[in-house]
Amino acid sequence: MLSRRLSLRSVVGRVIAVTAVGAAAIGATLGLFFAANTRLKEANADSVRAARVSAAAFDVRGKITELGSAIRGVVASPDRASIARWRRAESAWEPSLETLARAAATSEDQEQRTEALRFEIRLYVTDYGDPLVRIAQLSPAAARSSDANTEGSRRLQQILDHTDGVAQSAAVEAAQRSADASRLAHQATVAGIVALVLTPVLLILLGIWLARLVAEPLRQTVEAASAVAAGNFDVRLPERRRDEFGSLARAFNAMTQSLATSRRELIERAESLEQSERHKSELITMVSHEVRTPLASVLGFTRLLLERDVSEAERRRYLEIVDSEATRLAGLVSDFLDARLIEEGQFALRREPFDLGALVREQAELTLAHDDAHELALQLPDEPLSVEGDRARLTQVVGNVLSNAVKYSPGGGTITVGARASAGVARVWVADEGDGIPPEHREQLFEPFYRGGAAAAGIPGTGLGLAVSRRIVEAHEGHIGFDPLERGTRFWFDVPLYAGNGNGR
Amino acid sequence: MMAAQALRPLILICDDELPLRELIKAVLGDRYEYLEAEDADQADAVLDRFDPEAIVLDVMLPGRSGIEFLTELRERRRERPIPVVVVSAWQSQQDAQAALGAGANAFVGKPFDPKELADVVETLIAA
Repeated sequence: MLSRRLSLRSVVGRVIAVTAVGAAAIGATLGLFFAANTRLKEANADSVRAARVSAAAFDVRGKITELGSAIRGVVASPDRASIARWRRAESAWEPSLETLARAAATSEDQEQRTEALRFEIRLYVTDYGDPLVRIAQLSPAAARSSDANTEGSRRLQQILDHTDGVAQSAAVEAAQRSADASRLAHQATVAGIVALVLTPVLLILLGIWLARLVAEPLRQTVEAASAVAAGNFDVRLPERRRDEFGSLARAFNAMTQSLATSRRELIERAESLEQSERHKSELITMVSHEVRTPLASVLGFTRLLLERDVSEAERRRYLEIVDSEATRLAGLVSDFLDARLIEEGQFALRREPFDLGALVREQAELTLAHDDAHELALQLPDEPLSVEGDRARLTQVVGNVLSNAVKYSPGGGTITVGARASAGVARVWVADEGDGIPPEHREQLFEPFYRGGAAAAGIPGTGLGLAVSRRIVEAHEGHIGFDPLERGTRFWFDVPLYAGNGNGR
Repeated sequence: MMAAQALRPLILICDDELPLRELIKAVLGDRYEYLEAEDADQADAVLDRFDPEAIVLDVMLPGRSGIEFLTELRERRRERPIPVVVVSAWQSQQDAQAALGAGANAFVGKPFDPKELADVVETLIAA
């Protein structure tokens, strides 16, 4: 979690990294300034020290010159006063040298030079000065020999030269450091100025970068969110970024997709409800018509019989109509009961073996007996077509398919009814030469109460026949379907053949 | 033939249901001669050849509805309009209004009282 939050892929991580780099740059600039300042101060201190070394060297030089003068005074006149002067000079040089040594103690080279100088002066005093004083006290003439004096002057000059060397070396060192310091200060100043100029440029670049990093995706997100608010759920954000905006885009896209899905489902549900409402209202219209028509006959004829005196022949005919119409009503009620059974899933079959071919012939001849508009063509096998099933229910299916063929070919024509055994099933088919079923009605044909365009065409029916038929056929482990023909439609159904007792009854 | 027609007025019954045509004929009785049609097209064909005194018309017919047939009939034959009684299983206020609006002279809902239908037809023919 922590590593994810601080990853350079994330916006937060990148902003922190860039800020850190900027802070480091500013820190480095300040550091340069600070270093340059320190070095300048050091250089200043060095030149002060060099001046002190120079002053101390001058002092030491004076003491050495005094040593030379005192020894010459002793040589010239070895009296008490000159000897005392020598003694004073002898003890005066060392504190001055000590001061020089402290002032010049800035490098090993300087320390070695002052130590060498101390050793040389001491040697001059002990090996040359003191012996010469004793010689002068014993024999002033011997002391005045040129050799000794020449040697003394030479050594004194050498010591003076070495003293100057210490002062010069300190001055050189100070000059060197001062040059270094001023070069560094110059570099630091240049770097500082460059940094000062670059900072606003960097700030502007940082602003642009931040804008690209944050503002652009933010703008896209706002636009997309506004589109969603306006009801457009098809907007998608680019998901290629691997930072927080990438996560946001993926979450956003998932959200719009889920919204679109929900809305589609709602619309579909609303449409399906609307359709089912329409079916229901069509059903009510249809039921009222289907029930009222036979009821009108029954009531009309019974009132006629009650109110008028009619002949015996008329009475009989009226009663036949009443009987037939009441039977029609009963069939209607039975259809509704079947539909209810279907919806509740209760469907008990009374299976027995029987000849399906004979049943088909019987039903076809019965249905078309009084029909002058249609011609019946039978295609039945000679041998029995034995199936084990519910005879009454399969009669209902055959009757339904036959009455549909008659109803939906009002122009007449041939109705072909056939049956045969094939591949373990008995197939029954009924083909008419009607107008056929328009493609848009085919899918829902077997739905309860679905009537396609039949209601508009004035063809009576409940829209239950095929739904009930399908249920019956499926309860027999069979299939029902239809094939659109060039002219009309062929309905068919398969039920398994009776396998129990050979092929016949 | 002429004498028979003069004695017994001709009535066209247009209903797709055979039992209802039988009922209407039985109700109206022997006083009239009857022509029958199962739908609007057949009714038009009958009207091309005959000139009935009245039409008893069902609303719910296969194909064109009774109301459509009536509307077209009234537009086509403005002079000497044939009296039309509309019968319907729907029997709602809306159907009655639709029928009368289309030019029906009377509306009788199914199941109808035999006497009522007989009276309505008689009155229309007498007028």
